[in-house]
Amino acid sequence: MASIRALVSRSAKLQQFAERSDEKYDGQIQELVASLRQSLSDQTLNFAANDPAVLDNFDPAADAITYLILLRLQIQTLQESSQQKIPTALLPSGTLWPKAVHYIKGFNPVQVRYVGNEWRQLIELVAHAAQSVSQPLLATKIIRDAMLRLDPSCSVFTSTHLLFVRLCLHAKSYGCALPILDKYICHFPGFTERGLSKSSPVLCARHETSAAFITARSGLSAPLTWRDQSRYFLYGGMIYMALKEWNKASHFLELVMSMPSLGPISMIMVEAYKKWVLVGLIEAGKLRPTPKTIAPNVLKIYQSIARPYLNLAQAFELGDLKRLNAEIDAAVQIWRDDNNMGLVSQVKDSLSAHALAGIKKIFAAITVSELSGQALSLPDNVEAAESEIASLIMSGSVSATLVHSPDHPEATRLRFPSDSALSRSSQELQVQNKLENEGRILEALIEGVKKRNQVLGLGPEYIDHLRMAQNWGASGDGFAIMGEDTGLEMDEDIMGDQT
Amino acid sequence: MEPLPFDKENIIKVVASNAPPSQLFEILSQWESDACLRSAGSGSPETGAGDPEMLCLYYTGFFFAHLLTKQIPEARALTQRMPETLKNQDSSLQNCLTLLRAIWQNEHTQVYQILRDLPWPETLQSLVKRYESFFQDQTLIAVSNSYEAIRPAVAAKYLGLDPQAADKADPSIIQKFTNCGWTWNSETRLLHPSPITVPPTDPQPTSGIRETMSMLGNR
Repeated sequence: MASIRALVSRSAKLQQFAERSDEKYDGQIQELVASLRQSLSDQTLNFAANDPAVLDNFDPAADAITYLILLRLQIQTLQESSQQKIPTALLPSGTLWPKAVHYIKGFNPVQVRYVGNEWRQLIELVAHAAQSVSQPLLATKIIRDAMLRLDPSCSVFTSTHLLFVRLCLHAKSYGCALPILDKYICHFPGFTERGLSKSSPVLCARHETSAAFITARSGLSAPLTWRDQSRYFLYGGMIYMALKEWNKASHFLELVMSMPSLGPISMIMVEAYKKWVLVGLIEAGKLRPTPKTIAPNVLKIYQSIARPYLNLAQAFELGDLKRLNAEIDAAVQIWRDDNNMGLVSQVKDSLSAHALAGIKKIFAAITVSELSGQALSLPDNVEAAESEIASLIMSGSVSATLVHSPDHPEATRLRFPSDSALSRSSQELQVQNKLENEGRILEALIEGVKKRNQVLGLGPEYIDHLRMAQNWGASGDGFAIMGEDTGLEMDEDIMGDQT
Repeated sequence: MEPLPFDKENIIKVVASNAPPSQLFEILSQWESDACLRSAGSGSPETGAGDPEMLCLYYTGFFFAHLLTKQIPEARALTQRMPETLKNQDSSLQNCLTLLRAIWQNEHTQVYQILRDLPWPETLQSLVKRYESFFQDQTLIAVSNSYEAIRPAVAAKYLGLDPQAADKADPSIIQKFTNCGWTWNSETRLLHPSPITVPPTDPQPTSGIRETMSMLGNR
């Protein structure tokens, strides 16, 4: 018990330093981490290795490091004795599960920056434990909240991002993923710190960006490859699709399709392209223009592999229901193998709305009975056709109004208002929403550009460039390029090349 | 704030409360992990493992909270997350599935029938009524913006009123529509809906634009 008292008092001492300067707090945390790790290797913490009740002496919000080290020790001990990666005690009905959940729900986000590896491993273990009993839902919300607690901006891509979206997909808990998916990712560990590493920031200090403490060396993320990024955006796109947020889904899929590729393209990219074709049909009613960031040779590969999808798109764009059905029937096995059957049926369902949008370009008004002949996917029965059109209008898929005639049900007219006839307030609302959205994107982008500019400015390539510039007798001008505005211009040039 | 303990009494209290839909959703969503654990068999000693009655009450209430917050795709996902055994055994959860299908397919008449005629647990009656009223209001707004002129029987069908009585221009039904700002033309026997604009949640609709523009200006 004396040892527990010592641990408690050492952890309490740390709290006193939290109020003082960052440097002193940093020193104390580092000292605590080093001594706990030393105790682990000396096996002097073994008295606490088998008793979950020991953890009750610590509060994750104040003693995040000690609690985590002891919890990991207990898990490790059980792993070794049971020869299981996920010991029974860590399963949701086990004795350690509530301890792990209690920790994840309330850990001190500053202290865990010093024990990144242990923190990440605990998150991974909890996720695997929930999955191993086919209840991934048990881990989704707590992991999401833990990610937001560690880094409220979630702007640094980590292995936990991928783990989390995968878990949400397994749990069919799509809405739960939005607070993470809706955040803009501006940094990737391993690249960002190349410029920042020389200054080695004080981890516990307040930082402008979480990229200062979520680094490749921090352990808060496992090593990542471009495949992990592709998977994250593909899974994220799939979550947006499940929630029918087509525009965001399309954006995520485009990120996957546009991944730079030197060698052969990956199946993840092809999968994203196939889904992107279908999402474009549902959302825009046509095959969207491919992003210009995709190399022509890569696009050719996509097009040859996804031929049935392009045939489907062609039939859809023609508004030819018969041909669309034929294309769908001809490739049923392909849609099934690709897990795209649901999307394909939604493509078919959206044909009426897009056919009506096409008719709007020709007619100002038309009767429903005349329309049944035009828009081929509407039912033959006039009342059923009207009901379907009314549903499309009510859901906002079609901008039109219905006008009943006094006598004849067949004479119900569909009127398409001109854009100028749209109410002023609704136009203003649309503009307002668009501006707000653009504003948010711009703000995130500018922050990202500022950081990237700083990183590039401190990077070895840029230093070499400066050295060369000095050799050419242009000394003194070099640092001006590091200014904020110049960096933005440079970025605009890059964007200019792409458009 | 510490969430309420997950028990039958609290569930009944929450689903019968008049809490705003978003708050109702928030409280119920906090219990989903508990429900998931309980359904796996780790029930409390008092209620026993599983406690299907309490779980069905919870899942049905949570399903309606999704509907009240207009999260239809998420409501569908919830029905996929519900434990299979409960879904197959409990009539109120099966009613939820039927209701979801009707909402998904825009079958207004069926929606009212399911809400009014199918058996719902006594403890959920107020929530079911609340959703019926919500659905009616949402449909009224949608019909008002979708029709310039509409026959009373069709309007009545959308709003869960008696289409036969409406077809005969029953004054009490016509009055229900005219009370909403619609006009009644007795010669053509058509109702003329007045478009309903839902006020934005932001009390100053242009403040967002101002903030965004000032932000752009700062750059």
